Amino acid sequence: MIKAENITKTYNGGAVEVLKGISLEINEEDFVVICGASGSGKSTLMSVLSGLERSDGGRIFYGGEEISAMNDRQLTGFRRREVGFIFQQYYLLPHLSVDKNVKMGADLAGNANYREIIEKVGLSDKLKNKPSELSGGEQQRVCIARALAKNPRVLFLDEPTGALDEATGRRVLDYIINLKRERKFTMIMVTHNLNIAETADKVIKINSGKITEIINNPSPKTAYEIGW
Amino acid sequence: MIVSFKDGVKLIGLSVVSFCAVFVCTFFLNFYLDAVELEGTFTDPAINALYEAQMVTAKFVSAVSGGFLGFMAVVILIFYVKLYIDRHGKQLGILKAMGYSDGKIALGFFVFGFSVFIGAALGFGAGFAIMPLIYKNLTIDGIPQIDISFHAELLFALVFLPVAVFSAFACGYAYLALKRPVCDMLRGKNKVKLKKEKAKENNGVSFLAEMCFKTLGGKKALAFFVAFACFCFSAMIQMAVSMIDLSSEIMGAVILVIGLILAVTTLLMAITSLVKGNIKSISIMKAFGYSMKECSFTVLGGYHIFALIGFIIGTLYQFGLLKLMVNVVFKDVAQMPEYKFNFSVFFIILAVFIVFYAAVILIYSLKLNKISVKDVMTET
Repeated sequence: MIKAENITKTYNGGAVEVLKGISLEINEEDFVVICGASGSGKSTLMSVLSGLERSDGGRIFYGGEEISAMNDRQLTGFRRREVGFIFQQYYLLPHLSVDKNVKMGADLAGNANYREIIEKVGLSDKLKNKPSELSGGEQQRVCIARALAKNPRVLFLDEPTGALDEATGRRVLDYIINLKRERKFTMIMVTHNLNIAETADKVIKINSGKITEIINNPSPKTAYEIGW
Repeated sequence: MIVSFKDGVKLIGLSVVSFCAVFVCTFFLNFYLDAVELEGTFTDPAINALYEAQMVTAKFVSAVSGGFLGFMAVVILIFYVKLYIDRHGKQLGILKAMGYSDGKIALGFFVFGFSVFIGAALGFGAGFAIMPLIYKNLTIDGIPQIDISFHAELLFALVFLPVAVFSAFACGYAYLALKRPVCDMLRGKNKVKLKKEKAKENNGVSFLAEMCFKTLGGKKALAFFVAFACFCFSAMIQMAVSMIDLSSEIMGAVILVIGLILAVTTLLMAITSLVKGNIKSISIMKAFGYSMKECSFTVLGGYHIFALIGFIIGTLYQFGLLKLMVNVVFKDVAQMPEYKFNFSVFFIILAVFIVFYAAVILIYSLKLNKISVKDVMTET
């Protein structure tokens, strides 16, 4: 489904080479973890794969569509149709309630039944609450609901449990994995936590802007079976 | 120093409003103080009537423009102090947590008075620079030439006193605004606001409409500034055109320049603040695939109605003011032209205003488009 060919990315006018010829393939409905140390280029790779940022070289295909050849307007349309995001820092809209934050994603897909997802993540009783009135775990669940409400084909997650304690982190990860199985979307998660990688179908290890190892995992573990 | 000198001098909006207020008051009040000595020396009733009318004009214009712009300066100062405290809530919260008192932190805000000083000093200087032209324009046939004198009390009243008052006001308002729980400041929380807003949320509206409404509700002061900018544009440009017939080209030009400076500065200040305050929300919306047009609508869309209201009030204000001046203040003055509302000027200025406003919105929409969505991903 997603095919990247020889992706390169530099910053500071070419002085900092972050991605050095990355090539990979991700199948539909795969759960892929991109794993690496801080500064390895994993977040930049996610940005480029999701269309948040352009690569300097190489090509990226989603099915038959080449997103690396799209202009800004086409790329916005692509993100609108195809992808959802879950961020470590949540980035919820602080003045809007849980309901309206999720509606932000739902309106893009014309999804009138978005409250089912809020119910699914266990926040039906917090519909009218503002993000600052929620715990970290609850905020991350709003973030999950917001991303899923737009019915993405591919969900990108940047350290989704990074800001959570172990118990909440496991619960949130479990939510995400179960929702992925149920809704059958492709999921690409960036993390430095090798334990979390054990829950994925495929693990792509990255170091200094290059893929060092790709591991296929025939028997992924659940969020409660892994170390933390 | 908690609030740096640099923070105190970069409040451009405050400097510009202070400049305009002091500029106008300087030449009118200086003329009043120089001409007041001639009171009772005129035997010709026609000349005396014109003299009296000019003295009333000098006092009236100084009081209206000085008072109104002074009020605007206070509103802008409150806005800047609040904005500073909101944007630096965490740092100020840390200081409070370390044991700094509200009073000690608030005292640092006296530097905000420097912006007033810059504007007032420049306004006073510019007022003196243009004074020979204004005096020439105000000189009446039949009375002796009025020489320009320097009045130290005017320098004190228009430059040093406002700086002291505004510095003290900034400290006082900051002291009240800092009276919040430390934990709330550290978390960037405002409970009172949240409770008030909870009841207002409408379930039936779309996300974009709700976002637009919340942006507007969260930044009510900016709606006032947008309306004020458009008020200045409308009132002062129309008044400037009328002044060419009623007074002179030089008065028309002075009013036109002041109007344009106030309108452009206030509008840019308001919209820049809006865009800066919504960068995170826009970034997230862009990441999710909302278009430039949609992002622009949520941030700026709610303010268009206030722009129109400001323009209409400005039109009515200048009409009422000029009617009052011509029919009441100058009623005994011979050969005073009749003042009527000029519809052709109104429609031309309305068209120019629409182009000007649309251009500003377009420029800022393009700015919104340049906000990097990657910034959100990499921010910690």
